[in-house]
Amino acid sequence: MPVWLREHSWRQSLTAVYLSLPLRGARATAANIFCSEQYLKVSIPPFLFEAVLYAPIDDTNSTAKIGNGNIFFTLYKKEPAMWDSLTLANADKEKLQHLRENAVLEAQEKAKEETKAKKVTKQENKKYALEATMKLEEAERKRIEDLKEKERQKVTKELELWKNQQKDGDKYKSIQAKEELHQEKEPLKERQNEKLNKTRIPNEGSSKTRLKSTRGRGSCSIFSQDLREEQLPAPRAAATIKVNFTPRVFPTALRESRVAEEEEWLHKQAEARRIINSDLSELEDLKEEEKNPDWLKDKGNKMFAMGDYLGAVNAYNLAVRLNNKLPLLYLNRAACHLKLRNLHKAIEDSSKALELLTPPVPDNENARVKAHVRRGTAFCQLELYTEGLQDYEAALKIDPKNKIIEKDAEKIRQLIQGTMQSS
Amino acid sequence: MSAVLGLERPQVVSHVQQALSYTVFDCKWVPRSARLMCLGSAARGTGIIQLYELHGARLEVLREIEKPKPIKCGTFGATSLQQRYLATGDFDGNLNIWNLEAPEIPVYSVKGHKEIINSIDGVGGLGIGEGAPEIVTGSRDGTVKVWDPRQKDTPVANMEPVQGESKRDCWTVAFGNAYNQEERVVCAGYDNGDIKLFDLKTMSLRWETNIKNGVCSVEFDRKDINMNKLVATSLEGKFHVFDMRTQHPTKGFASVSEKAQKSTIWQVRHLPQNRDIFMTSGGSGSLHLWKYEYPAQRSKKDSEGSEMGVAGSLSLLQNVTLSTQPISSLDWSPDKKGLCVCGAFDQTVRVLIVTKLNKI
Repeated sequence: MPVWLREHSWRQSLTAVYLSLPLRGARATAANIFCSEQYLKVSIPPFLFEAVLYAPIDDTNSTAKIGNGNIFFTLYKKEPAMWDSLTLANADKEKLQHLRENAVLEAQEKAKEETKAKKVTKQENKKYALEATMKLEEAERKRIEDLKEKERQKVTKELELWKNQQKDGDKYKSIQAKEELHQEKEPLKERQNEKLNKTRIPNEGSSKTRLKSTRGRGSCSIFSQDLREEQLPAPRAAATIKVNFTPRVFPTALRESRVAEEEEWLHKQAEARRIINSDLSELEDLKEEEKNPDWLKDKGNKMFAMGDYLGAVNAYNLAVRLNNKLPLLYLNRAACHLKLRNLHKAIEDSSKALELLTPPVPDNENARVKAHVRRGTAFCQLELYTEGLQDYEAALKIDPKNKIIEKDAEKIRQLIQGTMQSS
Repeated sequence: MSAVLGLERPQVVSHVQQALSYTVFDCKWVPRSARLMCLGSAARGTGIIQLYELHGARLEVLREIEKPKPIKCGTFGATSLQQRYLATGDFDGNLNIWNLEAPEIPVYSVKGHKEIINSIDGVGGLGIGEGAPEIVTGSRDGTVKVWDPRQKDTPVANMEPVQGESKRDCWTVAFGNAYNQEERVVCAGYDNGDIKLFDLKTMSLRWETNIKNGVCSVEFDRKDINMNKLVATSLEGKFHVFDMRTQHPTKGFASVSEKAQKSTIWQVRHLPQNRDIFMTSGGSGSLHLWKYEYPAQRSKKDSEGSEMGVAGSLSLLQNVTLSTQPISSLDWSPDKKGLCVCGAFDQTVRVLIVTKLNKI
């Protein structure tokens, strides 16, 4: 139940009502005051003050001053008239309710309209700002254009001036030229019939008779021109200079960005030629199947199984000549070399096989393990135990479950420690 | 960069644009006039020479000459100022010198090469320099030949590959060092990146180097002085500036190089009025204006006491993109500073004005 604030005091003039409301210690803010045309409410829980006003007021212009434990309302009447009392006396509950609701609705509508109005003004402001900036930019652009235009015009004018000078100079020349044409035509035809001559161009002879060559250049130039013409040296003695070019295979021009591509292309061409050449020279007498690297590999495997290591190596050699990109060939050849105790060759072949077995994927795990083991064995047999151990450990890394490799690795470690202790 | 600073740099102003009905390979100003020449190849496989005159904001065709073979390059470099004969090289290897007033019969004609003449240069004419007028042509058949218009049929110098050597295309030639009557130097650039410098006085190879990319264009900053600078442009957007005053016995000439853009740099042309400014034209249709700054000391001694050159530095003054197709030819007007013409493979020729060159 709210506590009603009833101790208010008011006075009025013709146009305004002054209402003073003591707050009994409660603090008020603007949010606690609700005012519409005919209804005034102050609600500071638990305190409540409401008044249904005698006559409508202009609520937009009315003010409320909060201070000193008091709210002082200045309400401007819509119609200047003296009120009998502040509130409507005989207002029953229903009417009050009705009025209250109306008031609330009115307030809401007003709020809505206010926001709409605000929005509209904002839009307009934005538009205005945009237009203003556009205008400024236009002005700037125009200024630059104007400057450029001025330049252009100035330059064009100068050009015209200069051109007119030239024209006048040319007028004289054209007159001269017409006279000379007649002189020239005959010597021209004469010269065409001659095969070899070193005579000067006929014009040079007639130049001396000319009075004005160019306008405004003074007579000194004419004389100097004539003198120069007389002093022209004879044509050079013919000679040849031999030239060597920086070698280039391609007939196209050299471009830096293409050099890498070209190198690669040449490399591939060279490789292909090598293979073709080797094929052509020795393998003409081989059967068809013997030119197939896979068939050769199988043959090699069979010979290895039978113990014919040299034969196997031969088969692998031939297969490698035909296709040097198959890692298994090198792998198997390494095994042969191990059996043949060609340890260095075994190392070489295992290394080559490993090279070709990049990238290290699960698919070629098996092959890589074998390559490492074979290389390790070769190293150990050469007594390069540390390198051998390295290879065994690499093999273990790929295949940690292989007991044989583990045992062998252990053995090598012992050997190394043994030699270290003894030395 | 503020707009004000930007406008203080030289600006490239496009003055006139002219659409052509043929592919233009070379364009040159006619000396001492406001006229220009365009050389090229028509669609039907014949050569075209067109003479234009600059009238206000447009180009007016004065004369159009058609020749049986497409024409690749031309120069006015070896004629006198009165005659102004045009020397052209065509797709068939013929060198012709034409009198433009009477173009039916060439003044000089020779089938100089077995394949297309890629590049031509002339020296000794136009009142510049001293010595005999000579024309040099470089061709796809790997030879570089020097001709004297007074000597028919045989070149006065022939730089050809050694017997049995496979040939490389010669893409560009330039004269230089013609400061007196005897001295002359020819620089040739080839498609395998070779640059060779031939001395015509001693008839020998004076220097060679390889810049790792096909050489599209070489030019000395001035033909008629003791050779000072040589710019060589190449494929892949690179160009090199060589300081030609000091030749080291093993290291050759000092150079600075710049990679300006991703596409081929087709041409380099020095401003006739200022030999430290040059323009390069690129395969992306752009033009770059450069300035070379000399180093404090142009030469220094190396560990063995022989002189070697010191290269300077380059600064980009301006760049502009005019076309989507390569700009294959460029020429500054020798009479009006900043006026230049360029021809591009989009079948247009443009007359440009470069401003503020006086302030550099």
